[in-house]
Amino acid sequence: MPLRAARVGRVGVVGHPVAKTAVVAKAVTPGPAPVAKTAVVAAAVTPGRRRPRI
Amino acid sequence: MTETSLDELGPVDFVIVEFPAATSNFTGEMVKELMALVDAGTIRVIDMLILVKAADGSVDAMELSDLEDLGELQILEAQLAELLAEEDVEHLAAAMDPGSTAGVIIYENLWAAPFASAARRAGGQLIANGRIPIQAILAAIEADEALETAGD
Repeated sequence: MPLRAARVGRVGVVGHPVAKTAVVAKAVTPGPAPVAKTAVVAAAVTPGRRRPRI
Repeated sequence: MTETSLDELGPVDFVIVEFPAATSNFTGEMVKELMALVDAGTIRVIDMLILVKAADGSVDAMELSDLEDLGELQILEAQLAELLAEEDVEHLAAAMDPGSTAGVIIYENLWAAPFASAARRAGGQLIANGRIPIQAILAAIEADEALETAGD
């Protein structure tokens, strides 16, 4: 179906071809179950988590 | 809809959600969650398109109004600003696999607007932004763990 006439001939806002995000590509590769990964990431971003000072 | 002052405009982002052939399962849950974000004032949907990429790579773009049963999206459709141009369709579809369908949503992050305005009033300028992939966080955690193990 054609786009509305208002979209034709205008300068775009995206600017360049979009690449598929790497997260998607990695997410479908074999590895630990997503649930396990989610738990690890959740722990890493838990409020109050601090790195040991060097 | 009232006109948005440039000074009060929140950051505008886009997402493309791809549905590979024969894997889509539309139950209305996505629309419900999208409407919840809009109703909560978290985002304002500026534009939406449905893209279909054929096996030969050709792309067909559909307006939201081309869909037969919009349901709750009818409210959004009436407020779209048609920001995307024809050339954007080609750029956005570059990320799609042949044979897939994708929804494109352009949205203003209303939640960030007051902070962004305050930063501008304070003389600040946005010089970079981005998203940290979950996979990158995982990789960093694993690297930390490897270092700790090596130090034992």
